[in-house]
Amino acid sequence: MKDKIFGVLQRVGRSFMLPIALLPVAGLLLGIGSSFTNPTTLETYHLTNIIREGGVLYTILDIMAKTGSAVFDNLALLFAMGVAIGMAKREKEVAALSGAIAYLIMNTAISALITAKGGIEAMAENSTTSVLGITTLQMGVFGGIIVGLGVAALHNRFYKIKLPQVLSFFGGTRFVPIICSVVYLAVGILMFWLWPIVQLGISKLGLLVLNSGYAGTWIYGIIERALIPFGLHHVFYMPFWQTELGGSMIIDGATIQGAQNIFFAELASKSTEVFSVSATRFMAGKFPFMIFGLPAAAYAMYKAARPEKKKVVGGLLLSAALTSLLTGITEPLEFTFLFVAPVMYAVHCVLAGLSYMLMHIFNVGVGMTFSGGVIDLTLFGILQGNEKTNWIWIVVVGLFYAVIYYFIFYFMITKLNLKTPGREADNEETKLYTRQDVNARKGSGSALDSSFDRVSALILRGLGGKENISDVDCCATRLRITVENSDMVNDSMLKESGASGVIHKGNGIQVIYGPQVSVVKSNFEDFLESDDSDMTDELLGEMLESADKFENTEKKHGKKTTLYTHLSGEIVPLEDIEDEAFSQKVLGDGIAVEPTAGKLYSPCDGKVDMVFDTKHAINLISDDGCEILLHIGIDTVKLLGKHFKSHVTDGQRIRKGDLLITFNISEIRRAGFKTTTPMIVCNSDEYEKFNTLLSGKVSAGDAVLEIE
Amino acid sequence: MKSFTYTITDQVGIHARPAGLLVKKAKEFDSTITIEKDGKSVNASKLMALMGLGVKCGETVTVTAEGSDEEKAAADLEEFFRSNL
Repeated sequence: MKDKIFGVLQRVGRSFMLPIALLPVAGLLLGIGSSFTNPTTLETYHLTNIIREGGVLYTILDIMAKTGSAVFDNLALLFAMGVAIGMAKREKEVAALSGAIAYLIMNTAISALITAKGGIEAMAENSTTSVLGITTLQMGVFGGIIVGLGVAALHNRFYKIKLPQVLSFFGGTRFVPIICSVVYLAVGILMFWLWPIVQLGISKLGLLVLNSGYAGTWIYGIIERALIPFGLHHVFYMPFWQTELGGSMIIDGATIQGAQNIFFAELASKSTEVFSVSATRFMAGKFPFMIFGLPAAAYAMYKAARPEKKKVVGGLLLSAALTSLLTGITEPLEFTFLFVAPVMYAVHCVLAGLSYMLMHIFNVGVGMTFSGGVIDLTLFGILQGNEKTNWIWIVVVGLFYAVIYYFIFYFMITKLNLKTPGREADNEETKLYTRQDVNARKGSGSALDSSFDRVSALILRGLGGKENISDVDCCATRLRITVENSDMVNDSMLKESGASGVIHKGNGIQVIYGPQVSVVKSNFEDFLESDDSDMTDELLGEMLESADKFENTEKKHGKKTTLYTHLSGEIVPLEDIEDEAFSQKVLGDGIAVEPTAGKLYSPCDGKVDMVFDTKHAINLISDDGCEILLHIGIDTVKLLGKHFKSHVTDGQRIRKGDLLITFNISEIRRAGFKTTTPMIVCNSDEYEKFNTLLSGKVSAGDAVLEIE
Repeated sequence: MKSFTYTITDQVGIHARPAGLLVKKAKEFDSTITIEKDGKSVNASKLMALMGLGVKCGETVTVTAEGSDEEKAAADLEEFFRSNL
């Protein structure tokens, strides 16, 4: 459950990215446009003769400023559509349309109720606003997010709906905008009563944040940085930037809510004398550590790298440092040390929080579009003039930060011998880490554990695998697939999946399922995109074994034998196992896997020689004479069979990927045993070469060991 | 030819680890070492076969050494069984 909420939050955060990616461009337009139409700026830079109100240049700049503003003003609509797109599983364009419609309908419903109540005057002060010409409640981007999430949920639930024959025109994706309209009409009515209460709550909370002072800013900064590894930081800062939580202010007669909105409204306003620090305190702190601190940390990592690796590491770090410095995108750098040295990341969080606080203390009023790089600093700090922004403090604090970061990082790396890029062992690749690595490190379960779509798996296998499929479509009753090589298509397997017939026309294959084919197609497409599709053989393992009618497409090797991973998990070299029998290769050479799922699969075609009565190990003999011992866990013989279940018997024929034994990882670990599972070639003497093909995270069924 | 019988006292019998150690030990000698249980005998330098015997606690095996160093092999192996199995 916890993982599920976490997963959803991560996806919500990611779905913010589409609208947020527009902000730098909008900010650029607004920044340049409003700076050079601002009388103070013009006078400061003696441009009043060149840029005159009513002149061509002025008008162009004014257009830039206003179009930039349009994006910030309508961010809620962009979120309604963007989040719907991000969260919808398939047919995303329909979700986008539905998001826009639902947003309009919700606001219109609210608007009608406001009129019924007696207009704006009858509402609480500052609680209303105008959105796209509709007078409605001040909901900020929350309004958009509520719509986006709800629409996506409705969409995912209904986009495959089948309606009775007479109404069938309105079925499937066409049903989504319809149901969304109806639901959001109701939501609008609900919001009219509910939202004022939420507003009150946010307003109280906002006041609390405002009064939290410098310490509050510090904590905000720490949390914001600490959430980066989880990708949840957008979910966290967005309410501060976009809602009353980050403050509320009246600018040029309009009530503006949210730190970022306040900053840009002040930027667009000609009457701003000083930017409000109560708003920029949620932003300005990024500049010192992004422009100065992190690049200095990168330099420290470069200095600490081994001499022979400096060249390659230098290139990697330089580009990551420049990215942080110019655009304020810090992940490439941060993930690099987060991964190898979490303690360094903790230090970074505290320093980053401190940076926010210092900017607050020094009254730095510089805002940003989405992050704190040199581009934003120039536009929203330097160009606006020191009087309005105090931007000079960013440089002062930044220089200190550069020194501090450099020394702290260099000291920690060398003292604690942290494996930052260029310091790793020889056999490891020098690289920067990405969020994929972070997720992989978490060992987030294996697809083999989850329930999977057996029909789609059969179709995929029947069509000769992912690589063989170039296009999938369907008509009224048939799945129409274009394949690369029609010889690889297996009709009997396709029929097993429920098809009543298969038609070959060159490379075009038609599989006949009947009217439910559109659902089959949607499921199949979902499956193709999921990780499960890479392990079809494993998923179908048991089924393939029982059905010898399926032709064996595996290639037979000559003297060379390839063994496939017996479990999903992480590769462990035998030498690293804390048991001499394995680490000293007393039993033979091989490879081990630290499993993430309690399912042991056959690494080859062959037969079962013997299942130990304690079910914790199994001997196999491959068709090409390789004698293999699979031993689940270390010392687990002492469990006397508890937590293990065998699915095969002595002498049984097996195929690569057949399920051999299931076992309960958590119970075994709880009983105090390691679950590292070696695959040993017992007759190692008969082979000369052991070639390990993989390291790190693997899925069951990957080719892992070549022996000759 | 030298042989001795031994009744396994290790609770879990000749499982992977002791089998591996036994194979390693058996390979130290020039003599051919065979292990027999219930009329089935295997070469002690063949790990797979040895594990395949499935020797459990309380069962009795006959260990035979045949070759130039059979005396020493039998003595050493008896010692090995006593301390490991």
